[in-house]
Amino acid sequence: MLDKKRIRLMTKMAIYEKNNINEDLKISSYYKKDYSSLNTLITVLWITIGYGIAAALYAVCNLEKILAELTISKLIFLGGVAVGGYLVLLIIYVICAGSFYKARHNKAKQRVKKYYRDLARLEKMETKEKE
Amino acid sequence: MSTLLVWREQIQRFYAGYSTYIRKVLRLILGLLVFGLINANVGYMKAASSMVCTIGLSVVCAFFPLIIMVMAATALLLLHFYTLSLPIALVSGMLFLLMYIFYFRFSPGKAWLVLLTMVAFALKIPLVIPVAVGLLGTPVCVVPAACGTFSYYMIHFVKGSSSTFKAEDAAGLVESLMTFMKQAVANKEMWIMVAAVSICLLLVYGIRTRSMDHAWKVASVVGAILAVVIGAVGNGVLDVHISLSSLISGGVLAIVTGLLLELLFLSVDYSRTEHLEFEDDEYHYYVKAVPKIGVTVPEKSVKHINERQSRAGNSRNGEVSGRARHEGQVNCSERSKSADEILLTRSLNKELGLDRKGGH
Repeated sequence: MLDKKRIRLMTKMAIYEKNNINEDLKISSYYKKDYSSLNTLITVLWITIGYGIAAALYAVCNLEKILAELTISKLIFLGGVAVGGYLVLLIIYVICAGSFYKARHNKAKQRVKKYYRDLARLEKMETKEKE
Repeated sequence: MSTLLVWREQIQRFYAGYSTYIRKVLRLILGLLVFGLINANVGYMKAASSMVCTIGLSVVCAFFPLIIMVMAATALLLLHFYTLSLPIALVSGMLFLLMYIFYFRFSPGKAWLVLLTMVAFALKIPLVIPVAVGLLGTPVCVVPAACGTFSYYMIHFVKGSSSTFKAEDAAGLVESLMTFMKQAVANKEMWIMVAAVSICLLLVYGIRTRSMDHAWKVASVVGAILAVVIGAVGNGVLDVHISLSSLISGGVLAIVTGLLLELLFLSVDYSRTEHLEFEDDEYHYYVKAVPKIGVTVPEKSVKHINERQSRAGNSRNGEVSGRARHEGQVNCSERSKSADEILLTRSLNKELGLDRKGGH
């Protein structure tokens, strides 16, 4: 006889296997701190590249204004503003990325845990049916 | 009203039955709109702007996740821009890269909203997006919606001044790079619309999540009106030329869309609202319960006159009489095959419990 509960469970698991399992297994193979740190580091690199591009575009856009009456003190001031802006952006993104990746790790771990629990339930159901 | 609710139920049932195909068709339509609009507006590369390319890309992207369509649209845009001028392609590429670095790395699943916003702007119904997304989405959607607005105005700007960027010497290239960068970023109309879309979306979301009666309706109306007001005020203050009539018609359409979405996703009866108050060890609860409007779709009873079954029935009758009278005249193998089929169907029905269900 068809067991509705078992079919439901198997469908739920199959949907999960189809959509998220690969990424979740990959994420949960790391410790939370390692995963979060690694991805925050990658984010720092990307933000540096992004800030560089944005700063370059801004500089190209306002080249004439920047070069007009350029003095050493003005150059130092502009450099300071650029570095300050970079640091502020970096701090914001590091904090946000850290909590974002931690939350992602937690969710992935929970889903994998639930999947394994469902697997055990399914096994029990099959054993019961065989008996 | 009840007719609309019946339609809603029917649409839901239809979607539940054919969701796979409906999604593919919707993706195909979105692809046709996106690639068609790109090729129609900035189709500088002849080979890529052909109808075959538009249809081909749309069909291919219909079978993949929406992020692939976003990437294909970006690549197509950059290809057209490159054909027009290298600096434009460079600057646009960098701006797209910035969008990816600062937002879409974290949430690539919402990149399709960029496409939808661009399409809505091209179809002169930009306010539909913030109202719809404010009602159904989250405040984070404001970033892809703003990116979509930015992308649309960039395309619009390139289309409007393509002849000025056709420089061939190195000095001309640098000059056009600077000009494009300055004008693309300092486009006042774009910033007004970015502000209108963002504020409208956040306001719609803010009102929609309140527990007041008719929150969705109020959110749609207030959001659309505010967006129109921002557009009109920006028009006057910054001296730009946003068409007021299209802004107002877009606002009206946004309100209509909001009402339709409410009908589809939240049809509740506020007249039967109940206010409850109770407590447990830790909290005191003030609960507002609004009942949903439920309608039963009239069932159509269709009587099937199944040709195959009747034929099987006939052959069964014929089997009895035929065996007695004309053995050998009737095709025995065909008869036994149909009898096997009936037996198999019966045993399957019995095993799956369909007989019992029918009996009850």
